[in-house]
Amino acid sequence: MRRLSLGSRLALLFAACTAAVSLTAGVLFSRASESHFIELDQQLLNSRLSLLRQMLDGVHDPASLAPRLPALQTELSHQADLAVRIRGSDGQVWFDSQAGLPESPQVPGLSTLHSTSSDYRSLCVNLDDGHPQSAQLTLFLDITHHQHFLQRMQQLIWLTVGLSALATALLGAWAARSGLRPLRQMGEVASQVSARSLTTRLPEGQMPVELAELAQTVNAMLERLDDAFQRLSAFSADIAHELRTPLSNLLTHTQVTLTRPRDLDEYREALHSNLEELQWMAQLVNDMLYLAKADHGLLMPSRQHLVLEDEADALLEYYGPLAEEAGVLLRREGQASLDGDRNMLRRALSNLLDNALRFTPAGGEIRVSIERPEGRVRLQVANSGAPIDAALLPKLFDRFYRADPARREGSSEHAGLGLAITRSIVQAHGGSITAESSGGWTRFVIDLPRV
Amino acid sequence: MKLLIVEDQTKTGHYLCQGLSEAGFATELAADGNTGQHLALTGDYDLLILDVMLPGRDGWQILQAVRAAGLEIPVLFLTARDAVEDRVHGLELGADDYLVKPFAFSELLARVRTLLRRGSSPAQETSLGLGDLRLDLIRRRVERSGQRIDLTAKEFALLELLLRRQGEVLPKSLIASQVWDMNFDSDTNVIEVAIRRLRLKIDDGHEYKLIHTVRGMGYVLEERSA
Repeated sequence: MRRLSLGSRLALLFAACTAAVSLTAGVLFSRASESHFIELDQQLLNSRLSLLRQMLDGVHDPASLAPRLPALQTELSHQADLAVRIRGSDGQVWFDSQAGLPESPQVPGLSTLHSTSSDYRSLCVNLDDGHPQSAQLTLFLDITHHQHFLQRMQQLIWLTVGLSALATALLGAWAARSGLRPLRQMGEVASQVSARSLTTRLPEGQMPVELAELAQTVNAMLERLDDAFQRLSAFSADIAHELRTPLSNLLTHTQVTLTRPRDLDEYREALHSNLEELQWMAQLVNDMLYLAKADHGLLMPSRQHLVLEDEADALLEYYGPLAEEAGVLLRREGQASLDGDRNMLRRALSNLLDNALRFTPAGGEIRVSIERPEGRVRLQVANSGAPIDAALLPKLFDRFYRADPARREGSSEHAGLGLAITRSIVQAHGGSITAESSGGWTRFVIDLPRV
Repeated sequence: MKLLIVEDQTKTGHYLCQGLSEAGFATELAADGNTGQHLALTGDYDLLILDVMLPGRDGWQILQAVRAAGLEIPVLFLTARDAVEDRVHGLELGADDYLVKPFAFSELLARVRTLLRRGSSPAQETSLGLGDLRLDLIRRRVERSGQRIDLTAKEFALLELLLRRQGEVLPKSLIASQVWDMNFDSDTNVIEVAIRRLRLKIDDGHEYKLIHTVRGMGYVLEERSA
């Protein structure tokens, strides 16, 4: 089922609140006036009662009642809405001042009675206060007009409740609509967002406080999407670009080779050259697949206990001969252990070392240091050498980024995916990697959680 | 040694057959899953090379049928997909190894030989040798033409690998994995440098060179008549 719109929901809630409030007020008011009427009636009846008792003092039977009737009737004629019934203790009616009075109530005291056409308040007492066997006097006060008034008032209350609920529903709907306008704006902006226009942003400054935060979050999300999308499109363009050079080499070389008969060595040479291009391309494709896997969260590191200094030493031993030939000193300091994927972390470190070796001048030094700031493990690969512009440092992890633009693309060198792969591995382990360059050292700092 | 290759890509299958035959294996090729399974269950093979995606039955189904029939032949999977689940699935079903396309033929050849060797119990050799090169595994000493050669631990391990698999072209990735336990694609020239240094110690000054570079493929230790 479709949920109600926010506007209608608010309007309905407003209406319900108003209805509840006005209903409560109306009910309280009608109760109060009713009891006020009862009180008034009682006072009136009580004052009449004492007068009537005086007049009927000493009446025991219908015979003793008869001589007092004219005075009684005169008295009653002054007040048209008052009627009297006198009954014997056996319940037989001795006198009714009016015709059509309702049955007397069984219990003595005040009660409300209805006859066919009128409503009465009745007060039923013994004529002689001390004698339970004495005649009974019942006073009837016609309160039809009171009841009419109360009924009118109740109708008025219901009308007020209905009308005020309707009015607040309408006003509430209008208020909600104008109050929610920023939300609609948000919706309009969101509807404009597509892969082609990720640059639209919500006007954060014009938003009410409650929505400013949401707007900010949405903008930040758009920012990230935009960024990711830019990278993705750049990535596909880069792939095509990177593959173009080796592909055109392959095409040209193969066609040229085939244009005329050659001797065996030339064919062999051509195949070898092709093989190199192909191997480079295969490596590129494998690296890209690895990154794609990481992007899809499919890089799932196994967790085994790793002694980091041993891993670092193994890598330094691996790179030892290469460093020696390059005249670069390799050093490791510090120790720590953590749970992680040996092959992945070795690959990550290996890329960093490989990168460092490429940029360290002869006579320089590469230092792997392992630290243990609380709860974490920090792995640092630092190499001496020319400083890198601070603005370029974050770009080092971008795919296909090469610090040295002069390097020929499509050469058998790295395609510039090594650091991106390192970052993916570190992230798959729940860590982060940053690069910094100062004081003649370039440092890659990996922060990993210990578990 | 008889191998069955089940691969639906005609070109790939053809080249694999050619390469493996020339490496000294008897090969048979099946181009679809049903034929592949029939051959695998009836023929007497030493190794199966299965593509995962096949018309008819896929590689995993063939593997299941083979294992269900109680055949313990080593199985090597080739696949164009490298999803972790695929790898796990394959290994759970009893695959012995897994190669993701694109792969180098030298890599495949090295893995095939490793798998075929796995079955035979390794002889407890105390020394290895080729020509006038001797490697004493117990005393960890190396001599060539009676002259003692000092090697670092890794150089020794590298030479031992080359000697154990003499005559085989070993790709760099295999050397990195076996000697340094670096099990990832790395295109550094570390292996090149290591081989060059080993060569200096083993071959320098000798008329017959033992360590040879096979361009674009890897390295091989063998006696070549000059």
